[in-house]
Amino acid sequence: MLVSLNWLKDFVDINVNSEKSFFNKVVVGFVEKMDKHPNADRLNVAEVNIGNETVQIVCGGVNLKEKVYVAVALPGSVLPGNFEIKKSVIRGIESNGMICHLSELGLAEDDGKHEISIIAKTTPGTPFVKTLKVKGMSPEELQELLTIKTAEVEKIEREDKHLQHVVTGKLIDFEKIPNTKFHHKGSIDIGGKIIQLVFGSVHVAEKGWILPIALPGAKLPGGEIKEAKIQGVLSQGMICADDELGIQNSPSGLTVFPEGTPLGKPISEILKLDDTIIEFDNKSLTHRPDLWGHYGIAREIAALTDTKLKPYAPKVVIPKNGESAKVEVKDFDLCKRFCSLVINNIKVEESPLWMKKRLKATGHGAHNNIVDVTNYVMTELGQPMHAFDKEYIKKGIVVRRAQKGEKITSLDGKERILTEEMGVVADHERAVAVAGIIGGENSEINEKTTSIILEAATWNPSIIRRTSTKLGIRTEAVQRFEKSLDPAWGELAILKAAELILKLCPSAKIAGPMTDIKKSTDKPVIIAFDTNKAQSKIGTEISQLEMKKILEKLEFKATVKSKGVLTVEVPSFRATKDVHNENDLVEEIARMYGYDNIPVLLPTLPTKLPIENLERFKKHRTRELFSYALGFDEIYNYSFYGLKELKNCGMLETNHIKLLNYLSEEQTHLRISLIPNLIKNLQLNAKYLDAVKIYEIGRTYQEIGQFMPLEEKKIGGAILSKGKSDQPFYEAKGAAESFFQKFNITVAVAKGITDLPYAHPIKSVSYLATNGETLAKVFMLHPGVVKNHDLEKYSIAMFEINFSEALKFEKVEKFCKKLPRFPNIEIDISVLIENTVEVETIKKAILDSDKTLVKSAELFDIYEGSNLEKNKKAIAYKVTLQSDEKTLTDEEMAQVQQKIFSNLEKLGGTIRGK
Amino acid sequence: MEQTLKNLEAQALKDLEKVTSMPELETLELQYLGRKDGSVTNIMKSLKDLPASQKPIIGPLANKTKTIIEYAFENKRKSFEEADLTKQLSKEFFDTTIPSKIREIGHIHPLSQVQEEVERIFSQMGFSIMDGPEVESEYYNFESLNVPKDHPARDMQDTFFIQEKDDPKHGRMVLRTQTSPVQVRTMEKYGAPLRVIVPGRTFRYEATDASHDTTFYQVEGLLIDKDISLAHLKGIMKEFLSRLFGKDVVVRFRPGYFPFVEPGLELDFSCLLCDGKGCRVCKHSGWVEFMGAGMVHENVLKAGGVDSKIYQGWAFGFGLTRLVMMKYKIDDIRLLLGGDLRFNKQF
Repeated sequence: MLVSLNWLKDFVDINVNSEKSFFNKVVVGFVEKMDKHPNADRLNVAEVNIGNETVQIVCGGVNLKEKVYVAVALPGSVLPGNFEIKKSVIRGIESNGMICHLSELGLAEDDGKHEISIIAKTTPGTPFVKTLKVKGMSPEELQELLTIKTAEVEKIEREDKHLQHVVTGKLIDFEKIPNTKFHHKGSIDIGGKIIQLVFGSVHVAEKGWILPIALPGAKLPGGEIKEAKIQGVLSQGMICADDELGIQNSPSGLTVFPEGTPLGKPISEILKLDDTIIEFDNKSLTHRPDLWGHYGIAREIAALTDTKLKPYAPKVVIPKNGESAKVEVKDFDLCKRFCSLVINNIKVEESPLWMKKRLKATGHGAHNNIVDVTNYVMTELGQPMHAFDKEYIKKGIVVRRAQKGEKITSLDGKERILTEEMGVVADHERAVAVAGIIGGENSEINEKTTSIILEAATWNPSIIRRTSTKLGIRTEAVQRFEKSLDPAWGELAILKAAELILKLCPSAKIAGPMTDIKKSTDKPVIIAFDTNKAQSKIGTEISQLEMKKILEKLEFKATVKSKGVLTVEVPSFRATKDVHNENDLVEEIARMYGYDNIPVLLPTLPTKLPIENLERFKKHRTRELFSYALGFDEIYNYSFYGLKELKNCGMLETNHIKLLNYLSEEQTHLRISLIPNLIKNLQLNAKYLDAVKIYEIGRTYQEIGQFMPLEEKKIGGAILSKGKSDQPFYEAKGAAESFFQKFNITVAVAKGITDLPYAHPIKSVSYLATNGETLAKVFMLHPGVVKNHDLEKYSIAMFEINFSEALKFEKVEKFCKKLPRFPNIEIDISVLIENTVEVETIKKAILDSDKTLVKSAELFDIYEGSNLEKNKKAIAYKVTLQSDEKTLTDEEMAQVQQKIFSNLEKLGGTIRGK
Repeated sequence: MEQTLKNLEAQALKDLEKVTSMPELETLELQYLGRKDGSVTNIMKSLKDLPASQKPIIGPLANKTKTIIEYAFENKRKSFEEADLTKQLSKEFFDTTIPSKIREIGHIHPLSQVQEEVERIFSQMGFSIMDGPEVESEYYNFESLNVPKDHPARDMQDTFFIQEKDDPKHGRMVLRTQTSPVQVRTMEKYGAPLRVIVPGRTFRYEATDASHDTTFYQVEGLLIDKDISLAHLKGIMKEFLSRLFGKDVVVRFRPGYFPFVEPGLELDFSCLLCDGKGCRVCKHSGWVEFMGAGMVHENVLKAGGVDSKIYQGWAFGFGLTRLVMMKYKIDDIRLLLGGDLRFNKQF
């Protein structure tokens, strides 16, 4: 929301001194040491203490000496004349600021003596402005005050912020620069001086026009203007369009001043751009309906600065007799209060400049005097209004709910179809406005209007909000009504509007008394306020008296009921929704007392072990396993994918949860598997890398026919390598097994996967828990899915582990085994065998040969090649024999070896090198 | 005989001192300890000729002398060998600048890393770490948090809705827009007093750009006990941020509005880059906006079944995603969930 400082001054004295901004980064410094500059006669190098540090500054002041206090402009400060102080090197010596003369700070006339100003003893580092008796706040201080105590101010800006060195200039003559497409050379009279500049044909200009000219030094929103050569021609300034100046003045986009406008004058003076605009963050005003107008903000500032607020008292005389609007309110739930007034002899015309200026400054367009007045009152008081052309209101106004399917064409020319819960302002024949939201075209004010009916009503915020959402209309009226407005404003708004209309349109006549329909007045909100409890919540001691004072400043009525209890009456403008219980008052006390004054304390709570979250802890350990031990990179993916991806993975929509509203076709379904997004990651990264190893720990969301979907935490992983190979599968299998090993989970392996459309049916395994539940699946990506993703050049293995389920099978006990006492014997065995015999079968045959003495059998080579028989492979194992009771003899070893050989031969193998 | 032994020992040690090379040492060793004609050997041999009365006295003495001399020779030999090796090693050439052989380790996502750090610090202050559903009911996401239907605050959070799910009590299903629903869920489950944080994934239905994404991470905090105040919120957050950033951080409050807290406020911390003096990062304010917080609204306590006459406390919610972006100077939020390893491998 935009607030005009000049407008606020109608109601409260705010002394905002923009000059004070100049001193933002000017601090008191103490000259500790001073030496002559080695390379310059008239310069000195001073060591200046600026509080928490000492800086070196090169300075020319002839009167500068050691052990004095001075004003130091630090780098970043902008002095009068838009002179910015920067860190610099002066004749080879670094200088971190400037020691100033008062004239350089705009505080004295320049006496030409090249002296600096020595000031009274003050703690170094103190903002210089504190040593002055400058009245008022700088805009920054006002911004800080409001932000800290009321609501976030995004920025405070002078309207002429970018208009320094922008003056009026008359285009005397111009011509096209030869051999260029657009460039013109023009001469401009800027008042007694003719300058030359280059401009593009973007501006259709004519000789004699008086235009805004930015001179060198002007800091426009787009950058600083400097004298420059353009197309080889000297240009000493720039003709500026409104947007280049950051203003909105002319509908054509280029301001052309009327003939006779003085030349060389700052355009900010001519356009009277002397206001300062405060921009509030709307979100931070959500709970403060009272702050949606200038008067409310003025009231807040008055409370914050201990200044008196002028009463909101429109000066207008309402006749006791005469014609009043006939109003019938059929639904008081919809409309708490409806005030209206008839004004005749209206002449609809353009609003005066002062009003247009204020409306423009606060972000409103200008329409005509009547509509502008209603907008003006809304912006000033916060109460939205509407004006109907009386001629089009048949018999009188009826406030009612809309009929189902009732139609109205709103002011923006669109036909709106209404529902029964929406409210309308109607006459006896049809709706003339959607209540509190937008007016109807059928009763709009136009240039022929002579009689009007003004409306200022209090609408039900929930109905307003629902209607606005359904119709998709968000007007400024909606923004205010949905926050619950003070019903007392209806009458005030009518009076203020009447005062303004009479002022703008002296012929106008108020037809008669105001019509004021309300069912009952709201009872004031009264709160018994426990001040001890408030202290305990804020965490600091604030006396009951101080609390009372704070509340009274904010126009609450507070009386001491007993020690520790105040009886507080909430003013009507805060009582609608915002303040209705003790905690709301705690907030008022805390912010006004100053959040900054609340101490920093640690609670003294009894030592208590937190509720354990082992799953979360193990998630972090799992990441360490996958990333730091197994070499995978962790990825985070979105929780969604789209129909196309689903199909590319061969999946069906079944079991998926679909989003009702989505932003992209790629984010329509909640994932039931981590795999599809991981495939996308492979696609992306294969562009840059030959090998990819990634994993993700995330949730899947599955529709299971209950209200809440099934959310499970999974680990998904993928390994991609260039070329054709089955190695990724074995690596993926290893990763899954490492996980089970790390968490001591016993699993059984099942071959082949048939229920995952993206898994290779043969090159795949499942890991089952002791109860048969599937905990993980490892597979090569299905060739069809590989093709769909154009990944045929790669070999891809993937895995998905059900993390939450797997952890349920974690065996916590682990017992130590005795170390072997007798030496072991290792024998290498190589067997030539049919290549369809699985290595696991061979291993089993070896281990089964002697269950006590064969401790392990490790595969160390598989060979298939042209020098072997067809369909045969050579398998080599390292077998470890060991006894728990004695050292094995050669004979015992030979016996076991023989047994192994015969077992392998039973499988059809031929022992090599036997 | 005794004297002979003493002289022999002294002479041997003296001779040994003069030795400067291995051949010299070997010659000398032969002279003293040589099996055939070494002076020590000869003495040892002569022991058998001593009178029986002398044997027990001279025998051990001679042995001692022999040991001392042998030991001295051994030491000398070692010192020569060491000197030789040192000399030899110093002549070797070895290129240490050949690139290291590194086994590439994988990378943990920055969000995971910072999340664990946050969890660790809060755990140390006695906070439990909680989880809650990401697909949530309107009741928990809004109503229970004092955001009734038609409340303007719902505009603050554009919401993803799920198709065809509606329940008279719980309303529609949404993707949670904040971690706050876990406040009420945790209160229902564990009651008061309570000290928890909830880091988790949250969703907003809003157009994406460099600073907005549909998916991001928040950390919710909740402390409910007797006499818990805003001063304690300042204390805990100052402690947390100072530990997280490894330097003293100053925090400040300013008014803010969130329907589930009253008073509601925003917490800023002193800009770490400029120590609060004002720079580009903090937009010259000296402060970095960090989180929304406040005293838990009595309607929220009520929804969680906590008696607001006995218990009070505060809640906060900050953006873990934002914290990660600040910490690593990440300028585009979309990189975090973009899955581009050129990004992920940096952490």
